Amino acid sequence: MTRYRVRHRTTYRYTGPVDLGQHQVFLRPRDTPGQTTHRFDLRIDPAPEAIDAHTDDFGNHGARFTLDRPHQALIVDAHSEVSVHPAPTPMLSVSPAWEDVAEYARRDRSPDGLTALAMAFDSRLTARRPALAEYARQSFTERRPVLEAADELNRRIFAEFAYDPTATTVSTPVDRVFAQRRGVCQDFAHVMIAMLRSLGLPARYVSGYLRSAAPTAESDPQATLPDTPANPNDALVGADASHAWVSLRAAALGADLGWVDFDPTNNRIPGDTHVTVAWGRDYADVAPVKGVIVGGGAHHLDVAVRVEPAGIMNDGY
Amino acid sequence: MTPPAPLPSARVALFPADAADPAEPWGYASSGAAYDEFVDPLGQLRPGWSETVRELERLGPDGLGRRWARGLAELEENGVTYNVYGDPRGMHRPWALDPLPLVLGADEWAGIEAGAKQRARLLDAILDDLYGPRDLLASGDLPASLAFAHPGYLRPCCGWTPAGGRRLLLTAMDLARSPDGRWWVLADRTQAPSGAGYCLENRLVVSRRLPDAFRAARIERLARFFDTLLRSVRAVCPRGEAARIVLLTPGPYNETYFEHAYMARYLGVTLAEGADLTVRHGGVYLKTLGGLEPVDAVLRRLDDDYCDPLELRGESAIGVPGLVRAARSGRVVLANALGAGVVESPAWSPFLPGLCRRVLGQELRLPSIATWWCGQPDAFAHVRDHLTDLVIKPAMPGRADAQPIFGDQLSQDQRDELLTRIAEHPEAYLAQESVDLSTAPCWNGRSLDRRHLILRIFVAAAPDGGYTVLPGGLTRVSSSPESRVTSMQRGGGSKDTWVRSEGPVAPFSLLRSADGDQAVARGADLPSRVADNLYWLGRYVDRAEAVVRLLRAIAARLSDDAPGWGQSPEALPDLMSALHAVAPGPEKGENDADDPWTLAEAVLQQRVFDPGQAGSLAGITGNAYGLASRVRDRISTDTWRIISQLESTFEHARQGGDTADAVALLDRVVLTLAAFAGLNHESMTRNQGWRFLDLGRRIERVLGLSRVLRAVLALGEARAAAGLEAVLEVADSTMTYRDRYQAAAAASGVLDLLVFDESNPRSIAFNLVQIEAHLTALPGSDRPGARAEDHRLSIGMLAAVRLADPSVLSRADGPRGERKSLDVFLDGLIAQAPALSDALTRRFLSHTQSPRTLGVEQALDTPDDLADAAPDDVAHDADGGAP
Repeated sequence: MTRYRVRHRTTYRYTGPVDLGQHQVFLRPRDTPGQTTHRFDLRIDPAPEAIDAHTDDFGNHGARFTLDRPHQALIVDAHSEVSVHPAPTPMLSVSPAWEDVAEYARRDRSPDGLTALAMAFDSRLTARRPALAEYARQSFTERRPVLEAADELNRRIFAEFAYDPTATTVSTPVDRVFAQRRGVCQDFAHVMIAMLRSLGLPARYVSGYLRSAAPTAESDPQATLPDTPANPNDALVGADASHAWVSLRAAALGADLGWVDFDPTNNRIPGDTHVTVAWGRDYADVAPVKGVIVGGGAHHLDVAVRVEPAGIMNDGY
Repeated sequence: MTPPAPLPSARVALFPADAADPAEPWGYASSGAAYDEFVDPLGQLRPGWSETVRELERLGPDGLGRRWARGLAELEENGVTYNVYGDPRGMHRPWALDPLPLVLGADEWAGIEAGAKQRARLLDAILDDLYGPRDLLASGDLPASLAFAHPGYLRPCCGWTPAGGRRLLLTAMDLARSPDGRWWVLADRTQAPSGAGYCLENRLVVSRRLPDAFRAARIERLARFFDTLLRSVRAVCPRGEAARIVLLTPGPYNETYFEHAYMARYLGVTLAEGADLTVRHGGVYLKTLGGLEPVDAVLRRLDDDYCDPLELRGESAIGVPGLVRAARSGRVVLANALGAGVVESPAWSPFLPGLCRRVLGQELRLPSIATWWCGQPDAFAHVRDHLTDLVIKPAMPGRADAQPIFGDQLSQDQRDELLTRIAEHPEAYLAQESVDLSTAPCWNGRSLDRRHLILRIFVAAAPDGGYTVLPGGLTRVSSSPESRVTSMQRGGGSKDTWVRSEGPVAPFSLLRSADGDQAVARGADLPSRVADNLYWLGRYVDRAEAVVRLLRAIAARLSDDAPGWGQSPEALPDLMSALHAVAPGPEKGENDADDPWTLAEAVLQQRVFDPGQAGSLAGITGNAYGLASRVRDRISTDTWRIISQLESTFEHARQGGDTADAVALLDRVVLTLAAFAGLNHESMTRNQGWRFLDLGRRIERVLGLSRVLRAVLALGEARAAAGLEAVLEVADSTMTYRDRYQAAAAASGVLDLLVFDESNPRSIAFNLVQIEAHLTALPGSDRPGARAEDHRLSIGMLAAVRLADPSVLSRADGPRGERKSLDVFLDGLIAQAPALSDALTRRFLSHTQSPRTLGVEQALDTPDDLADAAPDDVAHDADGGAP
């Protein structure tokens, strides 16, 4: 088990005063069998009259707030402390055949089954395509165990798609990412989800964090992440960003392995290095911070994320 | 549904004497294949039509033709339009209406009515389950994959119940009658059904043309239905009777915008666009001149997805950010509830009979036509095998082609290609039995034609928890006897629908419940956007008047007729520069002649006959028309007619004409504009809306007059009598001047009359006094210690005029004989008038700017900057003059 202290700071700066801002955030990490959130603290500057916390239809913890006094900057600063204790990765080769998983997904009307079926169709940012199915079928050969095939697909996307932050934006369609074989983790997650769904498999988008690289002398986290919001002009040295990956439901009649995560950006099955915040059909369901404003002129967005081990845990360190 | 039984073709003749003559003008034949609403298979008139036929016989074809010409004129004058997407000339297409109603008997209607109520109840129960426990998905009564694949199944609306607990307050169903005479449901309209307003307008126009038949046949009235709808909405609002209701429209570019404005006015509710509403402290508020006013219920004509850019479709620019949250908190009632659109899909219909038994314990009384949803493998297999007998339609918006595809019209290759496409996304498609729609006679101007029809009926929630059905509906007919598509988008027409009453018809008017208090309250809740549009409407109308008067003065100096008093052609260059100052036109080209006559001819042609030119009358009146169409619910029908007449005058003038034509046309337009001013003065309540319209006129007039006086008197070449007389003529003050001064025009007299005289409505001083009075009467202007900027500017301008020395201003004190002091004085007014306009906009109208979506963080491993969509706030032409 690893305990993390997570800091996710989003700063908007506007060239003119914003008269009204309405925002929705998904920043509180979920509690799952493999993860426990001990503490969550959301600080917003300027402070809204109220923060309306809610749980959405996928079980994610969201918050909404309104800023109705003129302001020229908005800082959303989320602090959480999370233990990650992942279940051991199942044996990939003994998972059910992928055809059986697809077939079962269509028929399983249990609560878990309905939850999964909602993740099997097109969503706003992902669409099933024959070309995507064809790409995936090179790994999803006849009767192949679903997790083994997914692991290979994960590896192929990692190998054949170039990581390129200049290639896409939040709204680049999956088809273009697929055509140009470039993008960032959000794009790779969307591509893999669309491929799995094109085969009839339920797959969801997971929004979360990746453990930060060990701090160096120049990037002492205590110095770069003070408890009070820093001057928004200070860039955070060594800061990271949100991460995204894929979760696949590996269940067939009589063989339910639950949801298994795949991270095509890093070619791995997430273990205790990944902190899960929220999941949905695609990014649009779980955007960490979004908003609609009146006024404000042009705006500038700055995001800083830090994920540090919180100290000695009971796993032997 | 049973296969169509072949029916003998039947022919009916309304004039029995001529029945043998096949060329007889009324001759109407049923097709034999489809059910005919008018005649039975033996050629006998169906029951219920005798009163209508009697009146038609009495009128004869010529009489009906004459009468209906008036009906069509009324439709056009009332501006009943339907916008056709993607057709530049299709905006404001006149509404197509047939004089012959569709008549339905009381017994038959009772069946439809009971079925419609039951179906509304069933659909509401389905929505309750889909957005609640989802038991029907778990039990398999409804296919879960249809819900989850449907983009209209809104996850942010799951897990909570809207205020009042009812999701369908107004729903519509499209019905078709099969050859065996039974009615079937083709489609449900559950999110924001259109057509009820067109029903009202159709009824108004048709019942006036066939009054005897309408009375004799005892036709059910429509008004009570709308009263019930309003009472049901109020019943679920926390503030009950005091509830403020708005009708939310996507705006004037929507295909049925006419109806939105019409319904708002008919129901006595405020017409609002998304930007007129804002969500604060969890509630919805209307932005009015007096501040934010709470809204209790929203009758929405916006599709589900577009209602909230925060929680639903992020790119929606026409929604209200935070609306989902407000609805969830129960502070606002939405009719219909968000997410209701998911049950519009006919793909649910195969499951309804079983569900009706299970949920309501009843047989489904108004079934859908046979439907196969391709998302089910068995159903898809059936579609594959029977494609030629079926119509393929989208099961949900977005993926499949929106237009129905008739299997029998495809080649083998096309069928294979279609099946491949379906196989890629089977859940997005459904197939329906191809139905022979029933037919009814339509008037083609000379005789009766046969057309296929679909009937849209409307169901409203009743305050007692039940439902009520509009006794009537919108009958839509195909564009030709062959066409099976009855789409207003594709050239079809409409009919009034008459439901016969068994007993005497009780009169009922909505005006009784919408009592005087409500009308009085309307002035106070004027949305800022409406004030903004009225203000600019006033400005454009006055600008049109200034240009028309200048052009008329120019034209008068060009004609061969003996010029009138003082119409000396010497003033032409001055008039041309005045025209350019008031409404800049194209720059003088290199090849243009220097001779003022030729030049003036060319300018006259451009401004009157060439709508493409800058400063053309078509452009200015077109702007006025556009603004007026956005405030249809706030201006009288007569005012609308004037604006629409103005616009069409210049639209039609594009064919061109000579100077004499131009003069005649301009003379006519001056009268039309005078009528606008008269209505504005005599028929508009002195509310805030009127003030903004009049402020627009007054400010524009100050600006226009200052510009004309500066061009001619201060800088003009003909500073002698010719220019002065021309200015008097343009300012419609010639008679007053002659009456008062009994002399040839002199600068001091002209300035006295047009600048300083506070009793002359055409003077700058008079208009400034009016402006000041309006500003004093606007909300928030009653604190003398803290006058707003616009108010201070207007006081300053009026003071400058009152303090000016006429003898100094009339002096020719420049080196070349121009009036320098006058130039400086007028220049000051010309600079301050737009500043006043801007200040007014800032104080009252600036929160009309639209919300926009922020850039969001992209999930990636390095920090990123995704700044900046350009602001999409739209403004009317920035002030300072040039439109």
